[in-house]
Amino acid sequence: MSDTDPRTDGGVDAQAEESLLDRLTGNRSLENVGVHAVLYGVAALFALPYLYMLTVSFQPRSEAIEAIPHWIPQTFTVEHYQFLFENSLIVQWTINTFLIAGISTLLILVADSMIAYALSRMDWPGQSVILVIIVASFMVPYYLNIVPLFTIVANLGLVNSYLGVILPAVASPLGVFMLYQFFKDIPEEYEEAARLDGFSNFQIYTRIILPLSRPVMTALALFMFVYNWNAFLWPLIVLQDNASYTLPIGLVSTLNAQIYRPGRTMAMALLASIPLILVFLVLQRYLVRAVELQGVTE
Amino acid sequence: MSIREQISSITRTEEGRRRQTIGSVDRESIEGYLWSLPYLAAFTVFLLWPLLKGLYMSLHNWNPLFPSESEWIGLENYVDLMSDPFFWNSLWNTIYFVILTVPTMVVLSLGLALGVNRNVRGKKVLRTIFFSPYVLTISVVAIVWLEFLSVDFGPINYYLNMFLGIRPEWLTSELLAMPSLGVTTVWWLLGFNFIILLAGRQGIPERLYEAARLDGAGTWRAFRDITLPQMRNSILFVVIIQFIYQFQVFGQPYIMTTGGPAGSTRTIVYYLYESAFNQQAYGYAAAMGYILFAILVGVSLVNYFVIGGDSDE
Repeated sequence: MSDTDPRTDGGVDAQAEESLLDRLTGNRSLENVGVHAVLYGVAALFALPYLYMLTVSFQPRSEAIEAIPHWIPQTFTVEHYQFLFENSLIVQWTINTFLIAGISTLLILVADSMIAYALSRMDWPGQSVILVIIVASFMVPYYLNIVPLFTIVANLGLVNSYLGVILPAVASPLGVFMLYQFFKDIPEEYEEAARLDGFSNFQIYTRIILPLSRPVMTALALFMFVYNWNAFLWPLIVLQDNASYTLPIGLVSTLNAQIYRPGRTMAMALLASIPLILVFLVLQRYLVRAVELQGVTE
Repeated sequence: MSIREQISSITRTEEGRRRQTIGSVDRESIEGYLWSLPYLAAFTVFLLWPLLKGLYMSLHNWNPLFPSESEWIGLENYVDLMSDPFFWNSLWNTIYFVILTVPTMVVLSLGLALGVNRNVRGKKVLRTIFFSPYVLTISVVAIVWLEFLSVDFGPINYYLNMFLGIRPEWLTSELLAMPSLGVTTVWWLLGFNFIILLAGRQGIPERLYEAARLDGAGTWRAFRDITLPQMRNSILFVVIIQFIYQFQVFGQPYIMTTGGPAGSTRTIVYYLYESAFNQQAYGYAAAMGYILFAILVGVSLVNYFVIGGDSDE
């Protein structure tokens, strides 16, 4: 390039030399230290709420309401946890949440992969219209539907039941779209060969498509599990009985207690997040993948 | 080999399938519908049907106990909304919240993504920390920040009081309540944007930067002329998705401020929720949903043409 444009030649070289000079004089490493300082500084700020939650949950009430915040408990106590396990519904709520998130995820995986298979590997009239409608439904904001949806769920007699939370979750178009994108890129040849060997659709689906899509299915499963575990607005509307609450709803229902007990609240928040934090730490890369996929699909 | 067997073996090939469609029994069509049925059933009953029913409800003075006795009132709900000060107030509150959170979140997560993408130590640790709040439920996030921002017992006010002698009423003053919800939200959801932008940055071919370096471009030039244009789609995606998402904010005001003080954090979805489930004004709430839908569709279309117009490049 520099041959064709002699005018800038000298300037370019000078600049290039400058950055080389930078590197030699250690400006680069200084900059590097700065980047590290900023990143780890922000990370420390990000971690503070966790530390606070952890610490306060192990402090006796007297210590938690002192003016000085103790980042490490002076007196270590598990009384809050003990109280919660003995006197609250937290175990019940955890079971509820686990069942709702788990069953939703399972149904989503089955239903979404089946229709994604039909849309990407079969020819049938109307499929492109259906695909367009499903993709267009991305634009429907969640709250738009809550009022009519509640009347429908009520008519079906599903208020205050697991199914009232689970079935609407299955209608989410995200997974269909994600899996469709993935399935349609699987080369035809795999399938052709299998068809010649006399495989049925079911066999192709279970023996070829699903094994090939394990990464995307795992990512979707994890994302949906986390999403439904954390869902707030819809369970708040549908679940109206203390014993049927999920963790997010149950947690908020305890906030109205008259006496200020930060330790107990924090212990509860911590217990409610431990399952997901563990899942997150172990399977983080799949969740990252699921989020990245959303960035790609749109 | 019987004729039936021959036919069925023919239908397993492309040619055979094409021929079969001409016949009266189109097995593949039926199978297509059968495979789609489970999802389509849920989709129809719990997404499409409420969408239509909502429109119908919004044209009625809806009676939740005896729906059949609901009175048809045409566009009255929509007209009433236009002159409802609470509606406008909640709309402005929501826009204010979006303005507070979306740019902050996008700029901050872009900065962190570019930082982590450099040659830093402990990339995984940093990623884990920035991303982790995203897996918490809003209840946990809200409860932790309620304690953090507590006027008398919170650590933030302790240090502010120590160094500056002030104890701001974070969640109980009209001035600070919404920004406090904003800070909480940025902590909670920044990681989602961070992951997408980091992936976007990693998708840029390194040779572009090498070429720029040979041409003597500095860090700023490389950022402006390579990073930003190359990451255009990821950045736009993050902006739009956050706009749509933050526009629907509900949990933060519901848990942390119950819409107060003086309605200053009552957002659109919160007002919709209150109208429907506290005041039983179902038709009114449904109309509210539709007005917001119109706003968001407008935004999505702009998004579609802005991003879509460029994707062939």
